Amino acid sequence: MRETPLIGPYDVDDVLAWDQEGPRTVRRFLADAASLAESLPDRSTALNLATNRYDFLVGFAAAIMRRQVTLLPQSRASQTLLRIAGEFPGSYALTDRGDAIDGIDSVSIQLRGDQAPWPMDIPRIPSDRVVAVAFTSGSTGRPVPNKKTWGALTAVARATGARLGIKAGDRLSVVATVPHQHMFGLEASVMLPIMHGLAMHAGRPLFPSDIGCVLADAASRWILVTTPLHLRACVAEGVNMPPGGLILSATAPLSRNLAQQAEEHFHAEVHEIFGFAEAGSIAERRTIDGDRWRPLEDVLVEQDGVSCRVRAWYLPAPVPAPDRMTVDPDGTFVVHGREADQVNVAGHRVSLGDLNHTLMQIDGVQDGVFFLPEEGAGLVTRLMAFVVAPGKTSEEIQRQLRAHVDPVFLPRPLVCVPSLPRNETGKLPRESVSELARQWLERAGHDA
Amino acid sequence: MEQSGASLLERDLAKLIVQTLKLKADPAAIEPEAALFGEGLGLDSIDALELSLAISQTYGYQLKSSDPQIKTIFSSLRALAAAIEKNRTK
Repeated sequence: MRETPLIGPYDVDDVLAWDQEGPRTVRRFLADAASLAESLPDRSTALNLATNRYDFLVGFAAAIMRRQVTLLPQSRASQTLLRIAGEFPGSYALTDRGDAIDGIDSVSIQLRGDQAPWPMDIPRIPSDRVVAVAFTSGSTGRPVPNKKTWGALTAVARATGARLGIKAGDRLSVVATVPHQHMFGLEASVMLPIMHGLAMHAGRPLFPSDIGCVLADAASRWILVTTPLHLRACVAEGVNMPPGGLILSATAPLSRNLAQQAEEHFHAEVHEIFGFAEAGSIAERRTIDGDRWRPLEDVLVEQDGVSCRVRAWYLPAPVPAPDRMTVDPDGTFVVHGREADQVNVAGHRVSLGDLNHTLMQIDGVQDGVFFLPEEGAGLVTRLMAFVVAPGKTSEEIQRQLRAHVDPVFLPRPLVCVPSLPRNETGKLPRESVSELARQWLERAGHDA
Repeated sequence: MEQSGASLLERDLAKLIVQTLKLKADPAAIEPEAALFGEGLGLDSIDALELSLAISQTYGYQLKSSDPQIKTIFSSLRALAAAIEKNRTK
């Protein structure tokens, strides 16, 4: 079986990561990872919860060295973590803040590379080995696991780099606002740099001025891995970025108008990546050039009625796309939107059925439904929920929900109602919920 | 609930928070010392981003998470108002 090196091409004294605490060289990284690997417990799966991107990478590499699989939970909600740990018995959590997770054995990521010898050889990993599991939201209330082989992660990173014109050994600094436990974050902010010998920023700047500061601090040309949300905030704030960089956006569609403004304001090309956790990144476009997505190398998108399937040598089977799309004979495609049950809030995809299921499990809840209103003027449109729970307050339900769902999906507002407008078959047509939401928002508007 | 001795800026800021983040809460009921994030009002990092834009536009103060005080600044309405008072340019 084909094996490829864990990182590279780098020289041992190249900077692999940096943050306000200074640079971490390749030599230091290999020593940090090897020394952590030795101290890891003898288990098969690790939930990597590290918030610092360098710590995350050290934990990921150490797990790979020990032939352990890294689990990438889509949220830190305690019930989600417990459920994942339950489905992968013997899992432990890797953390970098010294925070322990209730009910899961936790190991703190200690960086001891300065006291350890560095391994002379860079480990080589078989392409068919499963190294990570990403989770998506299904309709049953249980996170659905998606296995990722080393071959798939490296192939996507190389194909993305090739498409963006990144050459091995280019002096580029990668800064990301997205979490590395998210598939796009893992691929673009961790795998892309380590497969091309680039330097990664270990932090995760949030506010526009943070992003500006980190980019100004970058020692070389930069790539900003981000989302339409952060990009919109940067444009609104008129933040300064050193010219000549490259912006890579994903997780939700970027408007051509915003891409145009960003290109002009930041003197940077704005590219978008399209993908989903089940297949990883599959296509790219420069947003100002048009709507069509160009599949990455080795990716084939096939029309299958109104849906599509994605094929690639590194995917064990064709993967159905969660979006409705139209593929042209030349292989490029247009995305029309999510399948009805799937919604996107601030770049995170979730199944409404899954959320509804979770809501119904809450003590005292008799009926309930989540709803995504039409896009408003804010940076992000939040979900609403209507709940029938006599004797319960919306705060009580909200508090219990928080343990089960990612904060980004918490309903705003959660409205308690006497009943839901279910039809005679017990179904809850979208139009009825939409009407309920319209009435509620109108009333809330009057009260304000 | 009445805000215990909330200043004018704190009251304006409470209104800005509720309006910007479309909260169900009554601005007058936000306790100046209560937590804004996590268990308190339950705000998250996207709220922080959205709020930072509104604060920058209203008060001309650009928040930075690299600021060592950032956790304190966002800890409560009172702390946030104090930071705005100190750094505002409009």
